[in-house]
Formats: sequence, structure tokens, C-alpha cells
Amino acid sequence: MRTVLLTLAAVAALGLAGAGAVVTFGLYNVSAQAGHLPGVAWLLHTTFRNAVELRAPAMDKVPPLDDPDLIALGAGHYASACAFCHATPDGARSATARAMEPPPPPIDEAVAHWKPNELFWIVENGVKMTGMPGWPVKGREDEAWAVVAYLETVKADAAPPLPGADAGAAYCRSCHERIAGPVPRLDRLSPDYIEAQLENYRTGVRPSGIMSHAVSLAPPESFADLARELAGASLPDREVAVTGDAAAGRDLAGRGTRDVPACLACHGGEDRKGPLLHGQPEDFLATQIRLWRDGTYHHNRLMVAATRDLEDADISALAAYFASLRAPE
Amino acid sequence: MNVMMRDRNDIRRSCFSRVPALTLLSLLVLAGCGREQSALNVAGRDAAAISLLFWVMLVGAVLLWLMVNGAFLYVSRFAPGRFDERHGRRLLIGGGIVLPTVVLTALLVWGLSLLPDSRTPGDGLVVRVTGEQWWWRVEYWPEGATEPVVSANEIRLPVGERTEFRLLADKVIHSFWIPALGGKMDMFPGRETTFTLLPDKPGTYRGQCAEFCGASHAWMAFVAVAMEPEEFDAWLQAQAEDAAPPADDAARRGQAVFRDEGCGACHTVRGTDAVGQVGPDLTHIGSRLSLGAGRARVTLDDLATWVAHTDALKPEVRMPSYDLGEDELRDLAHYLKGLR
Repeated sequence: MRTVLLTLAAVAALGLAGAGAVVTFGLYNVSAQAGHLPGVAWLLHTTFRNAVELRAPAMDKVPPLDDPDLIALGAGHYASACAFCHATPDGARSATARAMEPPPPPIDEAVAHWKPNELFWIVENGVKMTGMPGWPVKGREDEAWAVVAYLETVKADAAPPLPGADAGAAYCRSCHERIAGPVPRLDRLSPDYIEAQLENYRTGVRPSGIMSHAVSLAPPESFADLARELAGASLPDREVAVTGDAAAGRDLAGRGTRDVPACLACHGGEDRKGPLLHGQPEDFLATQIRLWRDGTYHHNRLMVAATRDLEDADISALAAYFASLRAPE
Repeated sequence: MNVMMRDRNDIRRSCFSRVPALTLLSLLVLAGCGREQSALNVAGRDAAAISLLFWVMLVGAVLLWLMVNGAFLYVSRFAPGRFDERHGRRLLIGGGIVLPTVVLTALLVWGLSLLPDSRTPGDGLVVRVTGEQWWWRVEYWPEGATEPVVSANEIRLPVGERTEFRLLADKVIHSFWIPALGGKMDMFPGRETTFTLLPDKPGTYRGQCAEFCGASHAWMAFVAVAMEPEEFDAWLQAQAEDAAPPADDAARRGQAVFRDEGCGACHTVRGTDAVGQVGPDLTHIGSRLSLGAGRARVTLDDLATWVAHTDALKPEVRMPSYDLGEDELRDLAHYLKGLR
């Protein structure tokens, strides 16, 4: 018995010493060119596939993904943040991307065998040791779903064309002046407000994966000029057909309740404390209010206090009301 | 025997050495019973009944205490020898069963007989009070009124008339109590409680939430004013008016601060576009006798300090502190003070 134990201890010590030597002296070859040892790639990939299947949200948590604006937002972000590795649906991956280990699959291949809930999990979480990043911020599932909406069109071979590689204000406009739905219009905001938000996105104070990626493409010194240019645009009023109860929203925004402050006290005009919300897209407004209420946003005490007692129905009513407003004369 | 003696002396000494400390402590506690918020400073019919009950019980309790301890002293120190059984039995039954039964029954009947008084119907004026965290939403409904006169954190009543209170609470249980005028009544979310008060001595008193209701429970107080009926009517009429327009430049600047900072999202100033309902109505804040539900005074300094440091003055209060410049705070305070 004693001999058995001593032998086991000696083997364990040798094993530890060997493992220590591999780490300490750099004996394992991490070369991407050399690739994985036989069997390792299979091991990693199988683990990845099973882990995603286990952790993906239930299919009934998948929101509607067929809104063209949501798809367009996902496409815009895909073009800017994802296409370098996964290529455009009709383009080829760069030689550099192909040389990664593991090589990122071209997008049509990458999405082929996943259901939308699994694609969501991968976009939101990323995959360790593959180079696939997680979503840059926490709490913005709404944004990850936009990317999934786009990926679903790729899977169905019905993907819209991706926007071109603009820079500066033209890049901003490629979403903010083309897409409604989840994307706000900037022409009604003040330059100061836009600049402050660019800074908030850059520092992460206002969490958004899409916007933190977008602002990382522009130097902070350019924020003031960008803000002036974007705020200066003059866009026509959109014809909006809102889905929420705009009349209930008007009462709530105008009078408030014993739990909810009156929104218009701060959002009622250009000279007020808060940004003008008139005519912003209904989806965008509802999402933003929800982010305040649920605590993802907490960079303004007044908004935290103002939204904390809102019911879901209140939020859709308020979004409908502000979406239906024209700019004040 | 010696050991026993020493022990008894020690005990006696240590008991006596505590007497000055206890006296001091009770003096400190009693110092809290100032005149404004004291059930002993009777200023109303209902408080008088409670006060009388209190004094009778106190005197009775002292008498009983003296009798029990007197008997004990007699038996242990002065009794000549064994009681005969007949005497002892009579004393036990008489003093231990019959006397307490008679005294306690009488006190109970009398105490219960006072209860219906607080349910006496009012003479016309109804005051609805809602307990919020941590302030009082007040509505005056004079007889026949179709809409209330809205106020907050202050209760005014006519002397010599019975006013009916209808009490509610917003989120948690509170209790409404003006010790100088009467008993307390709990306030529940979703269940109205009512009682009436009849003040008979004009004066300024203090009310306090008497049911723990969260972090700032201790700061949930109010000023209660009993006024001569004509004076009360004039006051109520003034309270029903819209807010006075700003009287000078500082007040006008303050009104602009009030508007730009979005104060109207939560506060109403009748006659302006401030129509919020979350916080106290400020239409006549300048004429009130306290600020922040008994937390501070309505002075320019206190108003400015309150707006800038609400959370420090009243932990967990819903109103955020405002990071304003000194000039803006002064102007804002000036505007609010002018809302008389």
C-alpha cells in the first residue's frame, strides 16, 4: 500500500514538474501558423457548439426580427465591426482574417447551422480563445438582437446591401439619417447635447455596443465639429403611424402622476433641461426609457428618479406620444 | 450572617447609586416633551380626554404601588407574628382578586367609553391627508366643496369645530399624530381611516409620523395650527388662490431657474405651467411654517440648503439634490419664499 502511494506521489510530482516546465520554458508552440495538434480543434469546436446550445435563451425569448429598420441597424454595425473577419455575404475574407487560428468562417457559413437564439448568445457573449469578441457593453441585448436580425437575412439569402465605408459625419448619417426605428434623428438635438453623448459613449457612461464602436472610429477632438454638423442638418418631419396609445402618453407626459414626474417639464422645449424628444422614432424612445427604468442607464439622477415607477404600458404610451409630435415652432 | 449582611448592603448601595443616573436620564427624555409636541400640553377636546385618562391611571398606579409595597413592608418588617389563616385568606381574596377586578374593570369601561368620542362626526370641514415617504399630502374639503384646496406638510384647523380627517398612505404604513390635539391614527395604503379632532386652544403645535416608515421616518413631521374660525376661513381662502407672480427681478430669475431645472415635473405651482404631482404642492410654500415636512424653516438660507442637499437633510428622500450655482440657489429661494 505504502509503495503504491509513494509511486502515485512520484508520478504526480513528475507530471506537475513537466507541466511547469511547459509553461515556464515556453515549450508549447502557440504559433497560429503551426495550427492545433490533431484532435484539439475537434475538442474545442465541439465544446463551443455544446456550450452555446446549453446557454442560449429559449426560442420564445426571440423578439420579432423582421423590422427593416432593425435589420438595417444590424447591417450597419456588421459592416463596420464584423465584416473585417467574417466578410460581407458576397465578398471574400481578407488574407489576414483567413490566417487566424481558428479562421473566422465567412458569414454565410458562420450563421448556417445556428438558430436565432443561439446566434444571439454568440453575438452577446463572444467565444473565448477564438478571437470572437463579446458585445462591448453589458445590458444592451436590444442591440445584439439587431445584429441577429441582420444575420437572419443572411441565412435566408435576403440580406440588404451593406453601407459603404464612409468616414466622419457621413458615417454617422449612414444610420442616423437613413434608419428610423431603433435609431434617433440628430437634427433636433443641440450640438452640446450630441457632443456630451459622444463623450458618454466613448467613456462607457452611456452603454451602447454599437455607438461605442462607432465613436471609437472618430478622434475625441473631432466630437465638437461632428456634433455641430449633425445637429445642423434639417430633415423633414417623417409621417409616423404610432402603435402605442399616444393620448395616454400626452396625459402622462403633461401632468405626470403621483409616482411619475411630468416629462414635458424637462423635455417640453428647446430651452429646457432635457433633450427635445419630439418626433424621435417610437422604438428608439421606448428602448431608451426602458434602459433608464431597468437601470442599464444611470448617468442622470433625474432620469433614474423619473422612470423608476413606469409600467410597460406607460413606456409605450410615452414613446408613441413623443414620436407623434412635430418639432415645436 | 456577616456575608449575608454585606451582600444586602452592596445591593442597597448599588441600587441607590443608580438613582441619580436614572433621574438624569428621565430628565433628558422628558426634555423631549416640549410644549409643541406634548400630550401633556392639552389643546383639544380629544387630547383632554386622553390626558385625564392618563392622569387617573398614573395616580391610581401610584396608589396601588404604595399599597402593595406598604403591605410588603408591613409583613416583612413590622408584623408581630404569623397571621391567622382566616385573616390571611380574607386579605388575599380581597386585595388580590376583588380589588384588581373592580379597579381594572372600571378603568377598562371608562377607557372604552372614550373611544366613540374620536368617531364623533365632524362639523363640516374634511381634511384628507396622505402619508408619503416622507411628507404629508393635504387636501382641505370645506363643506360642499367640489374640489379641494391642496397643500402639504401643514395642518390648519378652526378652533371650536370638529374637523374630520380621512387618512390614506401611498406606499407604506404611516401614523398621523398631533399629541397636543388628540390620539394617533394609522394610515394605510389602499384603506381609508377616519377620525375627528376638536381643538379648543389656538396655537401652533407639532405633529409627527408615529409609525416607522423608512429611512427618514424621524424627519416626517408637520406643523399643526389651531386658528380662530374667521382667521381660518381667511387663510383657507388665501390658500385657494393661484400663486403670486414673482415680485422682483431676483424672484423672476428664480422662477426661470425653477422652470429650466424642471422642478415643475414633480411640483405644482398653481397658475404656472408647473403641474407635477410627485412632490408637495408649492403654490404657497412661502407662507408655510416648515420646510421638508418639519425638517427646516422656510427661510432663504434653508430653502437654498434644502435644494442643494436634500439627501443629506433627509436620507433616501426622492427629490434629488440640485447642483446649482450660489446665485441660482439664492434666486430660486427668493422665488419660493415669495410664493406666499
